[in-house]
Amino acid sequence: MTQLVWNGLFVGSFYALVALGYSMVYGIIKLLNFAHGDLYMLGAFIGFAVLGAVGGVSSSMALPLLLAVLLATMVFTGLAGVALERIAYRPLRRAPRLSLLITAVGASFALEYGMRAAAGADPRVYPVRLGGTSMEVLGARLTLQQLVLIGVAVVLMIGLNLLITRTREGRAMRAIALDPRTSSLMGIDVNAVISRTFFLGSALAGAAGVMAGAYYGKIDFLMGFLIGLKAFTAAVIGGIGNIPGTMLGGLLLGLLESFGTFWLGGEWRDVFTFGVLILFLTVRPTGLLGERVTERV
Amino acid sequence: MRAIPLKSFTSLAVVGLLVTGCGQGLLGGGDGGDTAAKADDPIVLGMLIPQSGSEAAIGPYMSNAAQLALDEINAKGGVLGRKLELKTADDACDAQSAAAGANKLVTEGVDISVGGYCSGATLPTLPIFGKANIPMIIPAANSQELVDQKLKHVFLINGTGSQQAGAADKWIAKQGAKSVVLMHDNTSYSKDIALRTKSLLDAPGGAESVLVETVTPKESDYSANVTNVLAKKPDFVYWTGYFQEGGLIARQLRQAGYKGSIMVGDGSVSPKLIEIAGAEAAEGVYATMTQTPDTLEGAEGWISAYKKKYDTEPGPYSNQAYDAVRLAAEAVTKAGGTDGAKVIAALEGMDGFSMFSGPLKFTPEHTLSSGGFQVLVVKGDKFALQDSLK
Repeated sequence: MTQLVWNGLFVGSFYALVALGYSMVYGIIKLLNFAHGDLYMLGAFIGFAVLGAVGGVSSSMALPLLLAVLLATMVFTGLAGVALERIAYRPLRRAPRLSLLITAVGASFALEYGMRAAAGADPRVYPVRLGGTSMEVLGARLTLQQLVLIGVAVVLMIGLNLLITRTREGRAMRAIALDPRTSSLMGIDVNAVISRTFFLGSALAGAAGVMAGAYYGKIDFLMGFLIGLKAFTAAVIGGIGNIPGTMLGGLLLGLLESFGTFWLGGEWRDVFTFGVLILFLTVRPTGLLGERVTERV
Repeated sequence: MRAIPLKSFTSLAVVGLLVTGCGQGLLGGGDGGDTAAKADDPIVLGMLIPQSGSEAAIGPYMSNAAQLALDEINAKGGVLGRKLELKTADDACDAQSAAAGANKLVTEGVDISVGGYCSGATLPTLPIFGKANIPMIIPAANSQELVDQKLKHVFLINGTGSQQAGAADKWIAKQGAKSVVLMHDNTSYSKDIALRTKSLLDAPGGAESVLVETVTPKESDYSANVTNVLAKKPDFVYWTGYFQEGGLIARQLRQAGYKGSIMVGDGSVSPKLIEIAGAEAAEGVYATMTQTPDTLEGAEGWISAYKKKYDTEPGPYSNQAYDAVRLAAEAVTKAGGTDGAKVIAALEGMDGFSMFSGPLKFTPEHTLSSGGFQVLVVKGDKFALQDSLK
């Protein structure tokens, strides 16, 4: 049983990291950024390229090296997110919500097949792998590397939460989420804040991509699709637009999948997950921690 | 949401009708293309392969090898004095794309189909080619469902799922395994082999199948499935899906402390599996597989020809795709033309045509009479022959 909890928390922390970007973007401009999962994929590939460029490092150095690559990748992916907003979403900010949503789907395909054109369709394998031998803790098998990855995820999430609740920047974001027009009248540069929101959300997704690449090993150009949907589900469960709620939603979704697979069998995993999504959308669209009635597309 | 006026729906419907109407008109034209063929027109081979989607990596292995065979035949003067030409279309390993791709090939006037990798994507193309009187030589897809419909124009040159399950059962018995877990990904191909193997194992005596575990493809984390598998304490795990998940599953099983044997099906036989799993986890993984260039004597020349042309090693199903083109050429030669019925008769009459998997003769249900499945094992960075099961 502890093994199931552990599996769920580990997968859930990836979902939570990716879901945060979804949630922030939705919170601030009410856009479901369907290309967000592909920024996770982009992160995995950028991390792969950066590792390749660093090259030839002994495996004892793997962990510190990966952390450095992680930071570099977060910067790259963050900038990619900013570019995405600038090119695909900003011109449509005053357009009907549906055009924005359709553009997001288009951006998702553009990223996927752009990466396929650039890197090929073959799956790639990370040169540095975080495998590690497992140890028994309270009846569950876990590795030191898994603990480190969860630790990194937790640090990133706490950092984000502090940024949003304690800084001027965060206050500006929250103000825009409430009322963009009044915020701009109050002297907030709305475009700049939205850009920074995209930067943060995309950087977190990129971090999750590198971590997944280093832990699971395999990356391919379609890897972002499913996790994008899962992250969306996690955000809805916790309360889309609500940062602590989204983290909770990610972890809960991981646990749901782990226990769902155990109880119902593997073929029910996605049925179960997306069934829960539908249930939430109909019964409690604001999610577990969402207070304000969110507008739906 | 604003109500859309009814008028625009009507005009949409009219446009839709016009488009589908045109589509069928074009298809109709394709049917009669054969009779109008002139003596110096090329003979067109059509190949449906995954060029996008999850299995996109396989496509080039097959189309490159087909092109290689084609070029060799054309260099020798072609078939009946006509050149061969290859047209490929994308099936994305997906039923809808495959049907669209097959219609496209038919419209382009192909004479013989030499493609088909994913069984689930190949199935819906059977009636499309059948209607246009185009014989199909399927190089890779091998679900029993493809031949269960007993269609006259469908020929499989890869062993079928039931032959593969037979080989798996044989090897599991030979290993003295007691409790076996079967894992599949719910695709037509993978489920077929897993369930056929299960019914063989369930015969009294020998090994017992303790669990059939289904995984969702395209995920990275299979730890929940691995936990389910380990709870049954098996000493043999047989994964029947593709290599992308196979590599991850082998790695995650070993990381979770599983010590027993792991075996994978032919869709997982790729050097990428070893890369994804990592050398340590992949070492000693068995595989059920038809003959490959690696395990065949005298294939070195072919491998180096392929490498010279494409600057990369041949991959999964390169040799079957190569054989499919050669077989198509042979059948057209024997039939004296590209007429569908005559080519089918020529294929049915094949006896001893030499292919990588051995001399060819079709069974009444148009599969290989000798399945030729063997067991490979991962040694270092490649799959090596373990047992030919002869």
